[in-house]
Amino acid sequence: MQPLANITPLKPAGAVEVRNVGQVFKTSTQDVTALDDVSLEVKPGRFVVLVGPSGCGKSTLLMMMAGLRQQTSGTVLINGAPITKPDPNRVGVVFQEASLFPWLTAEENVEFPLTLRGVAKAERRAKAQDALKLVGLDGFGKRHPHELSGGMKQRVSIARGLVQDPPVLLMDEPFAALDEQTRMTMGDELLRIWAATGKTVVFVTHSLTEAVYLADEVVVMSARPGRIVDRLTVSLPRPRTYDMLGGDVFGNLRDRIWRHIRKSA
Amino acid sequence: MSATALRRLIVLAFIVLWEVLPHTGLIPELFLPSLSSTLVAGWTDAAEYGHALMVTLYEVAVSMAFACGLGILAGAVVGSLPRPRILIMPMISSLYAVPLVILYPVFTVWLGIGSESKIAFASIYGFLPTMLSTAAGIQTIDPQLLLAARSMGATPGQCLRRVIIPAAIPTVLSGLRVGGALVIVGVVVSEMLISSAGIGYLISRYRTILDSPHVFAAVLLVLALTVAFNSALRWIERKASIWQTGLRGGQTEDRAVRPGVLQPAG
Repeated sequence: MQPLANITPLKPAGAVEVRNVGQVFKTSTQDVTALDDVSLEVKPGRFVVLVGPSGCGKSTLLMMMAGLRQQTSGTVLINGAPITKPDPNRVGVVFQEASLFPWLTAEENVEFPLTLRGVAKAERRAKAQDALKLVGLDGFGKRHPHELSGGMKQRVSIARGLVQDPPVLLMDEPFAALDEQTRMTMGDELLRIWAATGKTVVFVTHSLTEAVYLADEVVVMSARPGRIVDRLTVSLPRPRTYDMLGGDVFGNLRDRIWRHIRKSA
Repeated sequence: MSATALRRLIVLAFIVLWEVLPHTGLIPELFLPSLSSTLVAGWTDAAEYGHALMVTLYEVAVSMAFACGLGILAGAVVGSLPRPRILIMPMISSLYAVPLVILYPVFTVWLGIGSESKIAFASIYGFLPTMLSTAAGIQTIDPQLLLAARSMGATPGQCLRRVIIPAAIPTVLSGLRVGGALVIVGVVVSEMLISSAGIGYLISRYRTILDSPHVFAAVLLVLALTVAFNSALRWIERKASIWQTGLRGGQTEDRAVRPGVLQPAG
């Protein structure tokens, strides 16, 4: 991976710290505890995956790290400072649906966060070009989202998340809408991009295989109330390869996660 | 044969039949005057038709500005704020079933038989679909897009300008298509009912004296007007929303907002 002039990480990878976070939804009849005293520390440069049954609050937790949602109690720190509202300089977010703006071209989509900040056009374009190159979409900048495949759209979305060089990248089930083959390819691509940029990644998924394949560490959550029930370190060497999926280490880790989830669901 | 060629052929056949059938006597000239006699009638009284066209165009333009301007404005408010929506939408929807043309005599009492009553009637007539469409367009904006924009640090103003407005354009345009067409209908119909000028008035007057060629000449003029309106709109659509082909799941539903569905009775 050759270094890219405008996107070569200048900021060091960031730390994410979740301290005693709780989330209570008040309904007319009762209070529902979505997250109950969740604490989690993600060291700079690590790839951490959150898994858990539907409704365990893993996406909610991710939205709090993004500053898109306020917790009822506790604090979320990014690089040591609390995050209370979206801060694209500290956190980039990639969503499940690529959520690209269909009326903009790929490069305009990638430039969007810079446009919001009023960055000059030439600088914007240069950074977008580099980000697109990084995700392997060199030459596709002029296309509109409907002219791109599902995997390519997610690449654009990742480029958009990285264009401001945030120390932390948050990903909310980014490959859930893709077919199996594209999903595998995108997993490898993401690991390549992660290795090239050295970002801290927090990744939410439903897929246990994806979780173990990608992660340094898997955080398993339970539902109602959302709690962290286990943390597994994935000791498989990098780069991860397809053969590892059939190995014992992989199988054991996946089984352990599955037992937690079955108990919880 | 390509679809375009076939379409042209159908139009051509229609024109030929229009000329030939009355001449052969299969259809009496009173029911359908031949194309040539219609054109001659229009040509001989070109000044009268020109004046009528100007009156109608003026009424259409003003009504269009009212219907579309207020329709988009009201639709944007109703679409983005839940409280007015809950308050107003049921009323608007049931109002839709009312044949609004019954209001026209009332407007002539209030505003006289000049252009004002036509403008008032046509504006209200075209207002409803434009407003409903705009409201639907704003409501069906993918919340994910807004969330993504917020995650990138967009202020509410930036969300409006850079996400909500561009996302709503295709639906608003399809609303304008219906609303604009209804404005033309509204103006011509009201001119036909009670008036002293305009193309509708000419149709109605020549019909009373059984002058079919003159009636059809006016009908042709209305036809030309709607065709011109349609091409103007298509031009705007091409300019404003290249991305329509890339509609996402939630937004495809808006295509249900179609003339056939929204046409109010009468």
